[in-house]
Amino acid sequence: MIAGRTRIVIAIAGLSLLILLLFIADLLLGSTHMNFADVMGSLFGKGDPGDEIIVMQFRLPKAITAVLAGAAMSVSGLLMQTLFRNPLAGPDVLGVSSGAGLGVALTLLTLTPLITLPAGSLLAGWGLILAAWAGAGVVMLIIMAVSARMRDIMTVLIVGLLLASAISAVVSLLQYFSNEAMLRTYVIWTMGNLGSISYPQIRALSLATAVGLVIAFIMVKPLNAMLMGETFSRTVGVKMQRTRIILLASASILAGSVTAFCGPLAFIGVAVPHVARLIFGTTDHRTLMPGAALCGAVIMLLSDIISNAPGGGHIIPVNTVTSLVGIPVVLWIIIGKRGLGRKF
Amino acid sequence: MSRIIPLIISAALLISSCRHGVNPPVAEQSMDDSLNVAGRLKLEKVAGATRATVTNPWQNSTGKELVWYLVQRDSAVPGDVSEDQIIRVPVSRIVCMSVTHIAMLQALDAGNVIAGISGSSLVYDSVIREGISSGRIRDVGYEGNLNRELIISLNPDVLMAYGVADPSAGSTARLADAGIKVFYNADYLEEHPLARCEWLRLFGILTGKVQMADSIVASVSEAYRELTALVRGSAGRRPAVLLGSPWEDVWYISPGNSYIGRLIEDAGGKYIYGEMTGAHSVPLSVESVFRKAEEADIWINPGTADRLSDIVATDPRMASLHPFREGQVWNNRRRITSGDGNDYWESAVVRPDLLLMDLVSIIHPELLPGFVQYYYRRLE
Repeated sequence: MIAGRTRIVIAIAGLSLLILLLFIADLLLGSTHMNFADVMGSLFGKGDPGDEIIVMQFRLPKAITAVLAGAAMSVSGLLMQTLFRNPLAGPDVLGVSSGAGLGVALTLLTLTPLITLPAGSLLAGWGLILAAWAGAGVVMLIIMAVSARMRDIMTVLIVGLLLASAISAVVSLLQYFSNEAMLRTYVIWTMGNLGSISYPQIRALSLATAVGLVIAFIMVKPLNAMLMGETFSRTVGVKMQRTRIILLASASILAGSVTAFCGPLAFIGVAVPHVARLIFGTTDHRTLMPGAALCGAVIMLLSDIISNAPGGGHIIPVNTVTSLVGIPVVLWIIIGKRGLGRKF
Repeated sequence: MSRIIPLIISAALLISSCRHGVNPPVAEQSMDDSLNVAGRLKLEKVAGATRATVTNPWQNSTGKELVWYLVQRDSAVPGDVSEDQIIRVPVSRIVCMSVTHIAMLQALDAGNVIAGISGSSLVYDSVIREGISSGRIRDVGYEGNLNRELIISLNPDVLMAYGVADPSAGSTARLADAGIKVFYNADYLEEHPLARCEWLRLFGILTGKVQMADSIVASVSEAYRELTALVRGSAGRRPAVLLGSPWEDVWYISPGNSYIGRLIEDAGGKYIYGEMTGAHSVPLSVESVFRKAEEADIWINPGTADRLSDIVATDPRMASLHPFREGQVWNNRRRITSGDGNDYWESAVVRPDLLLMDLVSIIHPELLPGFVQYYYRRLE
């Protein structure tokens, strides 16, 4: 067993290198053939104009989105697991993803969009994203309001689950009254996608991710204290109520924004924190936080590469990739390690 | 009244075609006349009835045949035919599950038999929409969400349905159990535009307007073939055509043997996915379609876009496509309602010749100078 500190340095360096390699691989591998020189030429503005559009407008934004979404969902999941001290918690337990889904369903499945934008305005193309954001935001505010009133964190978890179920019921109702074409557009949204995001949208997603991550990193000390239990946290001066609300806000900003831009990305938020704990062999959030972010980015990049695997222009929705490829990997890790450990 | 314009145009086309020789009088075209389009509907005269056989009535229904006997109200039931297989004609009340059924009845001036429809917001025809708002025509809901009690209370002579998959477990099957005559219409599965139009003959028998239906089918087929011959004869370059629009990061591609793929070929275009065959549209990555679309000259049916800016709003990358830059983007949304109604999905089923004219005028404008499209509009 390598000593703790060395192991962490090696793991961080290894994951960073892996991200770099996978990022380049993601730019190289797409549904149309392009060699290394073509891709590099296009990146630096010296390629064939057709290649340049594919690399700069299709592959680069997709790869950047994969990194952002993977990191944000994983950190959001880590926050939820520590906050609720529950290994099954993830960004979706709060109903934030469901809230975003409701916003999208209201826009896609009814004839009256939740948010109507004047055509040709600066915000054209943002309607769906704003609707998802609004839906996620409303749920986040409800959860925070409940959390401010309740001493017991389990009550917040239950409220979140109930809210998510209620929202799913409303979405089902909307689907029930929709025609096939509307249903298909909604179903495709629920399968997650990384590839339809423009640069201005990436800037917004980066900003939201940065805000969420900065808040999360500031909270590492109270998070570590929380692992010892609420009583311990209080004795070391953690203001539980306030800490919870800040953590909920951070997790919701991260998960809500990613869901708004990429659809509900399944699995990443729940699984990646476990992978990070196993790789880094620690529950210290000072290590785990960047570790989870890096692991999340690696897994999303890998999933995006695999989604192009069928070839011939066919693609697999990214959500099915993360689940079908990720679940066996996590199962293997868990069974190999004989359990996840009980340090929540 | 909207139906007069296309009739005038096709009449003009028919007259112009007469110079090739004697145009066969439409009345002589009998019901058994084969139009060389291998359709899924077969109509045969049997003793005292017309037997309607629908082969492969829904997707993946290889070998399945549904048989109905259409019997005059005052005629005796032919020998060994079970009552379950009989529809008495002419019918006085129909419930239509698709707008194409509405279009066929309206083409025969028989819209008055429509008692119920599915999805009222999808209807284009103004007369039918008036009927809906006045309450004369009822909306029976969508498949999976059908108001079965309403349908039974409407007491239709036939429920004109369509099967997306085997409907034996669906709600229309329960209606059949309740004694409603559910006819699974497969018009939407027909790949050849003329085979789809042929279904008008079924509605002709159902409404007692056989001659009218036969004559429309004959003149439309004639006009379609004349136009195809004109396009073939001109033998110029075949401009490459891109079809559809992306959604998120997928682009559903219709195969080359689809209805619209066939129309593009017949209009003298080269569909960029023309070599792809299959029964369904296939999801491809936007990247790969974008790459292939660089060679396209014309882009048709870009989703629900009514302006070029609508396309940019959905996916700004599409603005760099060749047909977009050249202003050659056309959508089938010239005739739409403020709801979801689009006449392209409705009356065009009876007027494939007119639809073909639109596409010829888009793909080969030199062949139809000055022609103003009926279903299509160029996006500004």
